Parts: sequence; structure tokens; C-alpha cells
Amino acid sequence: MTSFHFDIGSRGRNAGRFIARVRNELLRALAEKKKESKFSQQALANKLEVHRSLINRQLAGEANLTLRSLSDLAWAMDLEIELELKKPADEIGKNHTNATSTVQSAPIKVLSGVRNAVVPIAANSDRCAISTEQAKSA
Amino acid sequence: MPTLEELVEVNAISRIEVEMGVREQPMRLLYGTPSFIDWLNEILAGAQPRNRLGEATPAEQVDELFYDFLRGLPLLPLRQFRFIRAEKNAVWELKTPDIRIFGWFLKKDCFVCVFGNWVDLVKDHDLYRGYRIAIRRLRREFNIGDDLCVQGVAPSDVLSF
Repeated sequence: MTSFHFDIGSRGRNAGRFIARVRNELLRALAEKKKESKFSQQALANKLEVHRSLINRQLAGEANLTLRSLSDLAWAMDLEIELELKKPADEIGKNHTNATSTVQSAPIKVLSGVRNAVVPIAANSDRCAISTEQAKSA
Repeated sequence: MPTLEELVEVNAISRIEVEMGVREQPMRLLYGTPSFIDWLNEILAGAQPRNRLGEATPAEQVDELFYDFLRGLPLLPLRQFRFIRAEKNAVWELKTPDIRIFGWFLKKDCFVCVFGNWVDLVKDHDLYRGYRIAIRRLRREFNIGDDLCVQGVAPSDVLSF
């Protein structure tokens, strides 16, 4: 075996990477606050009236972040949260992560190269080597 | 002394890849030994630690760590990676809330994963020394010299930021 593709499926990948993105954003914001005004994890904990170890575990990913705790952390840093759900941009030539996953539970769709033209592929088929031409003829 | 290509050719190590995002290409390289790949397959099959700390599953944690590594993000020293002992040809540890991965840097931005285990097991049984010695032994068996092992222990010695 010359290469191993660690593929957890698009659902898990989205979840794991989203959770990490939220935490990274919190860490980045806290680092900026530290630079600006020497605002520390301890100051954050004091303002929220919780133990510093809880803040540390939340930022390290070792304690769950609820929407409430996320909001509290942003409030304590005097920051606003922006949240937007949108469709992924569809551009010719970009990678399609959902389409190339090999363990996605839902039927996989392969873009045929034409905007909005999608061809579903059976869930149990060998999805790795499907070309655009194959997809078109499916 | 073998080259990187020869190690891959004889299946001593295999390249590890994860799904990249749109318009992303790998900026670093990640390899794993056959036994580490077996461990990854266990993680993919749903293996869990006794007491999970992270909100994400172990598979999601590993995917995220590899994804950040491969796309060249700056990893946080101590929080996401660290050396086990300050020495020439040091052994390094990659970290997630529930998982520890041990290996070494073949070159800057090029890591070989050798062992993976749950955090609580590694800490409870103090496996750091054992993994460090096992990895040094493995490198001797492969006849790996200084040219395939980063010498320094500063974060900037092993990763581009």
C-alpha cells in the first residue's frame, strides 16, 4: 500500500472540522485580546464566574461547548458572533469533497462539469475511480 | 541508508491523505507505518476510549488534526504537538483531546506516524518512554540516518508556519 486515504465521510468531516473551526476562532480571538489588553484566560474565567480550568478545557476541546457557553465566551471578550448558513459555492474546477468521499451514507452525486447538472451514484458502487464521462453515461 | 521513496516502495511506510477542502492542496506530507494504518482502520471502524473528552468522535479528531497538518496550518506547540524529549532525532507527539500519535519528522513538514493510542491509556500507563524507545529501535531497524530525521526540537525546526 503506497497511500491510505483516511476518509470518515462527509457528515463526520463537516462536524469535526466545524467544531475545530469554532474553537480555533475562540483561541484566535483570545490571543488577539491578550495582545491588545493583556486579557487572560483567568480574566475570562473571572468575568464568567467559572473556574479557569473549565475555560481551558473548553478551548482545548476537552469539554463540550454549548451555544450558551459559546455566547458567554464571546460576551466576556466583548465580541459578537456572526453565523450564516449558505450553499457551498459551485464553481467549475473546484474539488467536490462530498462527491469524492467513499463512506458517505447518502447517495453520492458527481458534478458532470456543467453547473447544476448532477448525476447520482449508487451508494455501494466503487466511487473512487468514477470519471465525468462515466458519470454522464450513468 | 534508505531514501523516502525506498521506504514507501518496500511498504515500510505509506502516505496518509485526508479529503481536502475546495481549492486546497496538501502543503505538508504525512506517512504511517503498516501497524499505524491498522490502528487508523480501528478508529474508522468506530473505536472509542473509555471516557471520551472531546465533543468530536476520535475519527473526527484525527481527520481534523491531519487536515490542519496537511493544509499547512500553524499547529499550536504543546496544545497540538510537542517533542517527547529534547534530544537529537527527537520523537514527537501529535495531540487531539482524546488521542496521542507518536512518530518523528523525516524532514521539515513531513511526519511519520508510528503509534496511536488513547490519551488516558498513554497517561495512566506512562507510555511516553516506551513509545520513544520503540520508535528509536524502529529507525535503527530501517537503518534511518540523520538525513531522514529532523535534528532540532524547536517548533520552527519541524514545521513551517
